[in-house]
Amino acid sequence: MKSRRFYILGFAALALFDTITQISFKFATLHAGEFSLQLSWLRHVLLSLPIYGAMLGYLGSFITWMTLLKHAPIGPAFAASHLEIITVLLISFVVFGERLNSAQLLGAASIVLGVICLSMSKAKHPDE
Amino acid sequence: MPGCQRYERPKILTTTAVIFWILNIVLDTTGHLAFKSVATVGHTTELERWKKMLALPTMWLGIVCFVFEFVAWLALLSLIPLSLALIIGTMNIVAVMLAGKLLFAEQLDGMRIVGMSFIVIGVALAGGCA
Repeated sequence: MKSRRFYILGFAALALFDTITQISFKFATLHAGEFSLQLSWLRHVLLSLPIYGAMLGYLGSFITWMTLLKHAPIGPAFAASHLEIITVLLISFVVFGERLNSAQLLGAASIVLGVICLSMSKAKHPDE
Repeated sequence: MPGCQRYERPKILTTTAVIFWILNIVLDTTGHLAFKSVATVGHTTELERWKKMLALPTMWLGIVCFVFEFVAWLALLSLIPLSLALIIGTMNIVAVMLAGKLLFAEQLDGMRIVGMSFIVIGVALAGGCA
């Protein structure tokens, strides 16, 4: 049985890496501009620096996930891996100046509630 | 949807954005199902397991799906705000769970159905009012 601090640090690391990935993705697309069905668009994305930040974030969250799952129960781990929604939302408001209307914020709250419900489910989790 | 004030600003979720959103769900679900079906292959050692898995076409279907999902996600992010993409992207969770129920007869207890419903309501609110 690992200590409480192990879990808290682990779940925080997971959320951090996932947040880095999504923010980097957005930066990469800002660099390449709006999608067009051309190889040059993809090349612009793949040649931008932030896309490698996203890949590092992926790698980090993969390693953290695998380490956590050796000890942590799947329910809370599942929740933590999806609650990056909250951090990404906050950062996208501050960094990208994005705004959600009140109905959308209500929707986001409903999703967070849904993820918490799923993490508390007693049924066998697909990942187990 | 009432109360959304959708006439006051240009539509964010254009047809192209919706297509990439659906593509993202289909690719994610197919990829997860493909990986799930090869992950249970019989084996004696871990090395043998990986050799067997990599020899299966389904494994490669899964890999191809995730590569294309990567591109579809980037395309979606180039069209709509990150916050909105992330919110409607949680539909993947529901799709994978439903597919797991249909194809692998996985359990959906009451708590899980409630959770999935909250997510669907949330996606409908955020997407419908975009």
